Amino acid sequence: MAKVYVVTSGKGGVGKTTITANIGCALASKGEKVCLIDADIGLKNLDITLGLENRIVHTILDVVNKKVTASEALVRHKQLKGLFLLAASQIATKEMLSPEDMKRIVGELYGKFDYILIDSPAGIERGFRNAIASAEKAIVVTTPELPAITDADRVIGLLENAGMAEENIRLIINRFKPQMVRRGDMLTKEDIQENLSIDLLGIIPDSEDVIVATNKGIPVVLNGNQGHGIARVFDNIALRIKGELISVEKDLQTEAGKGIIEFFKKLFSRN
Amino acid sequence: MFFGFFRRKKKDHGSRKEAKDRLQAIVAGRRHSVPVREVIPAEVLKNSEQDVVKQIKSYVAERFMVNEENVRVQFEEHNGYVVIITNVVFH
Repeated sequence: MAKVYVVTSGKGGVGKTTITANIGCALASKGEKVCLIDADIGLKNLDITLGLENRIVHTILDVVNKKVTASEALVRHKQLKGLFLLAASQIATKEMLSPEDMKRIVGELYGKFDYILIDSPAGIERGFRNAIASAEKAIVVTTPELPAITDADRVIGLLENAGMAEENIRLIINRFKPQMVRRGDMLTKEDIQENLSIDLLGIIPDSEDVIVATNKGIPVVLNGNQGHGIARVFDNIALRIKGELISVEKDLQTEAGKGIIEFFKKLFSRN
Repeated sequence: MFFGFFRRKKKDHGSRKEAKDRLQAIVAGRRHSVPVREVIPAEVLKNSEQDVVKQIKSYVAERFMVNEENVRVQFEEHNGYVVIITNVVFH
């Protein structure tokens, strides 16, 4: 039976889709059977992040309208045979789906996967409620800025209000800048955790590698970075999801020494 | 002057402390939101819901010249507010 996670945030643009794609890839590369559901109806970005935009035949709307079953609408990833995507529809609106539709879809896929990750739209309205309807656990994503953190706090309140236990809600801090923290110009992970009062699942340092990988349609975990830098952070997160106890401090260790390496790289590069 | 070049100008303090204070103030304030059911008794809320849905269906059907069956009204309750979603189908 699958473990069903929703990846959510209050504020948009914090990196939910990229995180969903990379955690999915990291889990699948560890032999897990993973299904990613794009619940960001009307926008449809998860297929682009995974490089699958040309392979989409059916969308979640076709499943809601019972043209096809959820299994028939899935697209398999090119490299990872254990990773599948149920794409969103760009022509639909969030109101065309109901929480009951989402429960039915997840219910159909439940027995066929080890993990189901639902990429939620930002905000706290209909799309959010569709996305959380069938989730047992939540990953709340925030960046270290005030608007994102305060919106994450609101989302945590709504998740708890919807009946999700506090221990099933975990936090990912994205685009963390250790240099700014050292300068005293950015909130520390302790500051954020203290205010949101939920466990940390991971800290993802700000990285240009993510942008390069997204441009190529290859998640950073698969973009020749396996076991290094940001890819290593996603590996750590995947292992924590699988139940391994790995300190979140390890996520920031990937940054150690990077500054001086980058300096010499730039110094000797021609471009 | 030469040594002054290497001397880093010391900042008074970073913006972290300010951010932390503001975050605490905002989060503490927001946690005061209460579920609608704590403001309106469940029985009253349920009766109002049926009444509101009926009135909206009738009003929208008249305004948009459609049958009442073509108006779908959903009434949802969250902590602190009520959401009413109305879909109108035109044939």
